[in-house]
Amino acid sequence: MTTLTQEPARTTAGRPRENSLAGTGKLVRFNLRRDRIKLPAWLFGMFLFVFYYGAALPQLYQTEEDLQVVTEFTQGAMGAIIAGPGFGLDDPTIESVIAGVYGLYFLLLAALMNILLVSRHTRVEEQTGRAELIRANVVGRHAPVTAALIIAVVANVLLALLVAAAMAAADLDTSDALLFGAGIGAVGLVWAGVTVLTVQVSAFSRAGSGLAGAALGAAYVIRAAGDTITEGGSLLSWFSPLAWSQQTRPYADGRWWPLLLSVAFAAVTAAIGYVLSTRRDVGAGLVAPRRGSPTAPAWLRSPLSFAFRLQRAGLIGWGAALVVAAAVYGGITGPIVDAFEDLPETMIDVMGGDPSRLLDGYVSTMALSFAIVLAVFVILGLLGARGEETKGRAEPVLATATSRSAWLGGHIAVIAAGVAVLLAVSGLVLGIATAVSVGDAAYVWDTTAAHLVYVPALLVLLGIAVLLFGFVPGAVGATWAVFGFATIIGFFGPIMDLPQWVHNLSPIEHVARLPLEEISWTPLVILTVVAAGLIGLGLYGFGRRDLDTK
Amino acid sequence: MTTAIATAGLVKTFGPTRALDGLDLTVQAGEVHGFLGPNGAGKSTTIRVLLGLLRADSGQVTMLGGDPWHDAVTLHRRLAYVPGDVELWPNLTGGEAIDLLGRLRGGLNKARRDELIDRFDLDPRKKGRTYSKGNRQKVAIVAALASDAELLLLDEPTAGLDPLMEVVFQDVINQMKTEGRTVLLSSHILAQVEKLADRISIIRLGKIVQSGTLAEMRHLTRTTIEAHTATPVSGLDNLAGIHDAEVSDGRVSFAVDGEHLDAAVRHLSSFGIRALTSHPPTLEELMLRHYGDELAANANGNGADR
Repeated sequence: MTTLTQEPARTTAGRPRENSLAGTGKLVRFNLRRDRIKLPAWLFGMFLFVFYYGAALPQLYQTEEDLQVVTEFTQGAMGAIIAGPGFGLDDPTIESVIAGVYGLYFLLLAALMNILLVSRHTRVEEQTGRAELIRANVVGRHAPVTAALIIAVVANVLLALLVAAAMAAADLDTSDALLFGAGIGAVGLVWAGVTVLTVQVSAFSRAGSGLAGAALGAAYVIRAAGDTITEGGSLLSWFSPLAWSQQTRPYADGRWWPLLLSVAFAAVTAAIGYVLSTRRDVGAGLVAPRRGSPTAPAWLRSPLSFAFRLQRAGLIGWGAALVVAAAVYGGITGPIVDAFEDLPETMIDVMGGDPSRLLDGYVSTMALSFAIVLAVFVILGLLGARGEETKGRAEPVLATATSRSAWLGGHIAVIAAGVAVLLAVSGLVLGIATAVSVGDAAYVWDTTAAHLVYVPALLVLLGIAVLLFGFVPGAVGATWAVFGFATIIGFFGPIMDLPQWVHNLSPIEHVARLPLEEISWTPLVILTVVAAGLIGLGLYGFGRRDLDTK
Repeated sequence: MTTAIATAGLVKTFGPTRALDGLDLTVQAGEVHGFLGPNGAGKSTTIRVLLGLLRADSGQVTMLGGDPWHDAVTLHRRLAYVPGDVELWPNLTGGEAIDLLGRLRGGLNKARRDELIDRFDLDPRKKGRTYSKGNRQKVAIVAALASDAELLLLDEPTAGLDPLMEVVFQDVINQMKTEGRTVLLSSHILAQVEKLADRISIIRLGKIVQSGTLAEMRHLTRTTIEAHTATPVSGLDNLAGIHDAEVSDGRVSFAVDGEHLDAAVRHLSSFGIRALTSHPPTLEELMLRHYGDELAANANGNGADR
């Protein structure tokens, strides 16, 4: 490759033909150097992920019967949606469970790795203006894209080999390990090609990777629908690149030819990307950026409505994801609870400790899970406000007639109301889906209530974050430690031998697990008062400290 | 004339750094006050203390008759601010940001807003993340100038603007001056301050080292003279207040202290002046005199980056 950069091809007559790939080799080396941490981290992480399953599952499922229980989960429509066609699960082995049940998640991760990889070496470079520096040199028109693709191909080959190596390292059957790995690498390759195409569309990398992500979502939905129609996948499934890798049937009756489709598809999408890239200027997109309103809507006029405007997109995204998750987890309640019949004792403890009320235990565990997921929303929300401050966007707002407490209070109010609404919505959807699944309408209200009781505990977490914001703003991230502690105590506290006062340190621990337990109001009132106190103190601290400026 | 801004002995430290080290700044109501100094001298820190975003460690501040820290919200209704480094919200259009900031201040003049958008040639429909630095600056300028605020705090407002837009900016500020508003205009772009400011203050290492009208400051400094004469000039050495004189073959150049200018020109004319150019001291030269000791201390002579 490097020799190409030295000697422009000369022809005896006419203008010498330009070498549009000049400099590709140097760019590959340059990009590999810039990726020296990120790319190995991704590849090694995927290796560990596969190895972890390979090593952990044999411990978890020691007998044939244990494996049968797992695969019962993944049969029928729900299995088709969350796992795939599930080849080889009729007669399950550890290997076929990894490929058939967990394999889909490796495919999604491989796609994600490639979307980010191609995007950061193409559109991100153009958007930041660095590509201009590069392209002003002896670098051909197609060199940056080609360099990114070469790295993607190498990375996906390595990924395939590492997945196979992980299976071997976990001491599993290696007969189809390379096929399993190749399927994962093939999905990576497809999304490298797709991303080369999508980054041409908009001038902004977020739109480019967003489009590639949307294609991934569409591929998932098409595959899920196709696999639901017919066991083992229908014609519809074959319209999804994810299905091609799954249809190689590793550890069932393995076959390589579906991967030809993946390679061809990657080549075609990348080729379209190349053609499109010659029809636009450096730094520009094929589509002009969308323009917005020249004036602000009338409701956007207070610190509160502004905080809502800033968090609106996040609230919608969280809401949509939670509704889908709640519908799925509610919908599978019936079969899951049946499968729980012969759970080991420790699992029963985690699920509330009462083997006769496993359904209630499941609902209360789901409520706890949603509450913990929403703790992430709370912390990210306040980190968002902190970002407004450190990125210099709070400064012009606080230079208007907006007080510190109104500005921060607006953000706090939106987060608090958001958490309450999101908990209510997840609870209601989970409740309805559960009620339908088990045929008991009482679960609609019970499940909603089971979620809503976590509002005060999450407000305490918000209060801790606000307190840090007010007094040690650099340490708002430390709220993650509280979150981690509450998560571990919440899920594994029942089976850990810890003194009661340690349990009491977690705000979530004081909430009654409905519908398993009776609601107790006193802790909820106390948690609310504590939250209000923490928030008040944090606001006071923020009113007295310097604003952090750029 | 009333005082719009008065600080006395203002001190602000960030860890070991003394950003403001006994700052005494006075701005009269109705004047455009140039606030000059190199990067890192403490201009932005001063303005942020005036806005109540930072709290001074010691010293007094009065602005529009109030205390910037305790009366921040009340005072902010009467002032508008353009930050030095404008950051916009990626998903809000420029027009939305202008309206929002105006409304949060307590209202903005719609007609004036539209006129300014037009004059600054700003597209208010673009999203924040798609604006260039200069256009982000325009958004902040329009948001500030479209208000009826009586005090404008402008922190290097034209750093990203092209020369045409700078002319528009100067027009608008002059218009503000005739309306009787007070402007504190910080800059290290000296020519801009020179055109707009009634008075200037030079800040250095967190202290005001000089304050006054431009004329007053020029009086204190030297004028540079270059001339062609019919006969070679002699006897310059005997005159008072002459510096850096160079005579060669009918050409002469020297700098002369303001109070000795008259005598120097009289002396020159006796040699038959054929051509004469004189430069008043530029603000660069004013600043260099205040930074002269740093220049001297720096062996390379590159100490001042202007």
